[in-house]
Amino acid sequence: MAIRALNRGTRLLFLTVVGLACLGPILWVVLSSFKTQGQIYGGGSFLPNPVSFDGYRALFTEIDILRYYLNTLLYAGLGTLGALASALLAAYPAARMEFPFRRSLTALFTLGLAIPITGLIVPEFVIMRELGLYDSLPGMIVFYSAMWFPLAFVILRAYLSGLPPSLEEAAALDGAGYFQLIWRIIIPLARPGLATAGVLVFINVWNDFLFNLLLAPSPEHQNVQVSLALFRGHFTTDISAILAGTTLMMIVPVICFLFLQRQVIAGLTTGAAR
Amino acid sequence: MSELSPMAAADDGLQLSPPSAAARRGRRRVLALERPTRGMGVPIAISLLPALVLFSIFFLVPLGVVIVTSLSDWGPIGLSFTWLANFSDLFSDPAFITALKNTAFFCAAGVFIQVPVGVALGIILSQRIRGWKVLRTIYFLPNIVSIAALALVYLSVYNPRYGLLNQILGALGFAADHDWLFDLNTALPAVAATWVFTAGVVMILTMAEIAAIPEEIYDAAAVDGASGWTQARHVTLPLLRNVIGVCTILVLLATIGYFDGVYIMTSGGPANHTLTLALYSFQEYSSGHWGYANAIGVVLIGLGLIAIVAIRRLFRVGERDF
Repeated sequence: MAIRALNRGTRLLFLTVVGLACLGPILWVVLSSFKTQGQIYGGGSFLPNPVSFDGYRALFTEIDILRYYLNTLLYAGLGTLGALASALLAAYPAARMEFPFRRSLTALFTLGLAIPITGLIVPEFVIMRELGLYDSLPGMIVFYSAMWFPLAFVILRAYLSGLPPSLEEAAALDGAGYFQLIWRIIIPLARPGLATAGVLVFINVWNDFLFNLLLAPSPEHQNVQVSLALFRGHFTTDISAILAGTTLMMIVPVICFLFLQRQVIAGLTTGAAR
Repeated sequence: MSELSPMAAADDGLQLSPPSAAARRGRRRVLALERPTRGMGVPIAISLLPALVLFSIFFLVPLGVVIVTSLSDWGPIGLSFTWLANFSDLFSDPAFITALKNTAFFCAAGVFIQVPVGVALGIILSQRIRGWKVLRTIYFLPNIVSIAALALVYLSVYNPRYGLLNQILGALGFAADHDWLFDLNTALPAVAATWVFTAGVVMILTMAEIAAIPEEIYDAAAVDGASGWTQARHVTLPLLRNVIGVCTILVLLATIGYFDGVYIMTSGGPANHTLTLALYSFQEYSSGHWGYANAIGVVLIGLGLIAIVAIRRLFRVGERDF
């Protein structure tokens, strides 16, 4: 019994320490973003008292935060759409049709996930510039579609391979063409797979820092991550504004996750189920 | 490290080692279901076209360009081939050696802290302790936050004047004026500490793997008298070899290309003490040394591939013992 109690104690201690280490700092920043400068420097209480919106007010007057949110929404929304569309069109034949080089092509697309893409910064920059996509909103959308295509492909192919063939065979017998089949049968059937892949791609694009910095550096094309991270560099004096900005960088992915937790977890474990 | 991508290397499509049992099963299944694909050649080709174009332009061509131009002196002005000069320069470049060592340090922190923490969390939460669903959300939440935001969070936490860490140390009676990211001795571990405990992805994958272990194995273990810790250590843990290998690959890929955190928190400083390969490559690109930046990129990508192949061998990834 003594050993059992000790085990329970160790387990509780471990859970507490890891929990505090990974969530404590984030919680502290979010709570402190509602403090005044004086309260932040004063230390002491973890909770803001009284609650102050000085930081948020300063942030909204200093930078055009809505514009950065709009940019990020366009990148993440349309980038996700592009990645899903190209991935579905490729994953459907890869999962359910026979054609030459099917396996090699699948392996090749999957290999896209195994490349540490931070090693490719110069070629990506040069290619974007040569294609006239450098430092533009549409350019970033095309880039994100391509960058997250392999992830969407792997998830969708896994999902489509698991579907029963009966429905689409019936539709094919009815004389539906290939693309009608995808539009009328596959997309409705693949909705859970599309949601899973879509959430993961959306959050990943939303959180991108390096490629926005590298490929669309001018202020009017920056996303939330880049603009607020650089804001910290420029206005280091207003701490409550910095903490407010940090909170605003985290809020959208956290909300997405809290509402779509099931899809996120399913997306992460797709490969494990294979 | 919290880039969210699933088991890249575990998927059976990736043929870096002989096809696993699962892959062979998968192939047989597709063949068994003879699809009505006659006369579909043209639509299939059209269907594959967007993917082929995007993948070629943004993965294959860059990969080719990075390898070829790593053998050159390339910049905004022009290109001339210098063959292996960049690589021989690299290995006598103290900044590169430092970046390599620091990247190795981050990899080690990921493999020896982040992965074990995540596996332990997964094992504990799989015991369905009270509140496990809430705990799963709590431990996963930091993984959903961008690395950039996490970097800003820790810039505040480490701030010598108002940071949380020094406040806590002060309250405990220790010296409370340490500048964690500026001190040569603490900068590197301080950067690693920002993400080593965000082990949510490893935790989720471990939980999924444990859920797939057949009940009978535990029944047999219970008959042999194993329970609690003993069961976790001698029954569950060995069965997790495959998923631990997969997680190790994911963590290594993320740490080998680690950029956002160091760029924002320290810019590689103080005195290159937190410089990573990805950041050094970016710096060289920014100062117009594209060929040299690409040589660093080739090393980075090469290390990624070596890590994948080695870990797949070591952990026999793709095979399960149950």
